[in-house]
Amino acid sequence: MMRTGFQRVARLVHHKALPRNPHLLPKLHQASAFGSSTDSLVARFCPEKTDLKDYALPNASWCPDMLSLYQEFLEKTKSGRWIKLPSFKSNREHIQGLKLPSGLVTASDKQDWRIFTRCILLEGQGYEYVIFFHPSEKKSVCLFQPGPYLEGAPGFAHGGSLAAMMDETFSKTAYLAGEGLFTLSLNIRFKNLIPVGSLAVLDIQVEKIEDQKLHMSCIAQSRDKQTVYAKCSGVFLQMQLEEDPPQ
Amino acid sequence: MLRSCVARLRVLGAPPARRPGPVWRLFSSEKVIRKDYGLPNPSWSKDLRLLFDQFMKKCEDGSWKRLPSYRQNPTQILKDFQTRFVDPSFTKEEQMSKAQQFSRSFEEGLGFEYVMFYNKVEKRTVCLFQAGLHLQGVPGYVHGGAIATIVDITTGMCALAEGIAMTANLNIDYKKPIPLCSVVVVNCQISKTEGRKLFVSCSIQSVDEKTLHTEATALFIKLDPDKRLT
Repeated sequence: MMRTGFQRVARLVHHKALPRNPHLLPKLHQASAFGSSTDSLVARFCPEKTDLKDYALPNASWCPDMLSLYQEFLEKTKSGRWIKLPSFKSNREHIQGLKLPSGLVTASDKQDWRIFTRCILLEGQGYEYVIFFHPSEKKSVCLFQPGPYLEGAPGFAHGGSLAAMMDETFSKTAYLAGEGLFTLSLNIRFKNLIPVGSLAVLDIQVEKIEDQKLHMSCIAQSRDKQTVYAKCSGVFLQMQLEEDPPQ
Repeated sequence: MLRSCVARLRVLGAPPARRPGPVWRLFSSEKVIRKDYGLPNPSWSKDLRLLFDQFMKKCEDGSWKRLPSYRQNPTQILKDFQTRFVDPSFTKEEQMSKAQQFSRSFEEGLGFEYVMFYNKVEKRTVCLFQAGLHLQGVPGYVHGGAIATIVDITTGMCALAEGIAMTANLNIDYKKPIPLCSVVVVNCQISKTEGRKLFVSCSIQSVDEKTLHTEATALFIKLDPDKRLT
């Protein structure tokens, strides 16, 4: 299994999809029993060079809390243990070169797809977020700042928007930790409201992977951990994407 | 939650804050009337229109009622909510004027296209829902979080009929992925009440009722009029 992981990484380097500089390659970890190793998934997910716009970068709407916590995590990525995930406008852009198993592919000539959490592109109005992933411990942290367009109760983020942010962070974590693809279940306990424009920190942990399912837990709280906004557990279904050779 | 109060009033209020994109016609003669989004528009598919007509027929004898849906809460309701439930230090005047209901923050056809009908006797809310291209998750399918949002909104409407309530728990079982741009029927009903607790059950089915996409249960807590939220 380790050898397959090595071979895949080697192939990616050969095809110039990965840089040759060794210090940029994450340390190799035990491959998941299912298919691709976390490292090859991460390598493919985080392209060195791309024309695609990364929305998970600071902008003028980020509150000071979000900016400073972002800087803290950016420091941690230097050791290679944490990785900042890019965030493109659509999941199609995230899985370039890959496709859904046949039977699940939906034919569509429409071009304007957008991932739900990037539905509102106006700076600061919708979802402002960035996800950091820790491959060896299979955990993630999402810094989330809901904008005024996500309002539910006046002045506070809609419960549905937090549910969506949790589902999205679960989704990227499950994919990189073990090719998780579809949400099977979400169980959310809301505790306190998130004021619009403030920072919520989501901590996600993969609890176990068995029977083709990834089980994860999440806690969303204020930066100082004094206020818990919600707790959630989620289960995702593993499903391997297929290579989609260029036409 | 306050949307239901809003739904019951035909309030004349200021037009929402300007945003880029198509400018909505909000003026009708001299009166300023806010746009009701729970009505057919060009982005609605044939399936959605047919279902809408079927339910409008059911409204004729008064057993069902179509719920109007606006983008913003009127200023007075906002101020009331803030005064009763929120600590004064939380009020941000500037943000209040920009805020709008999450599910109505999209351009026509690209986000949540939906309309809700309510049956008072059965305490049941039905939502006819068409997910647009900006609600994508796995390519070609509706994002799990968007599904969670529509479940939260529809179960919330059910609970709101009993009084202002907040979501406490949401349990969602995803059975079959929902293809983007398809129409589904979200069916919610109060299953139990225990004091201030409201238990709502929910299912999402295809139009022909042959596919069960999602099952969910939600717990709402009615707000205590004597307590603050923050």
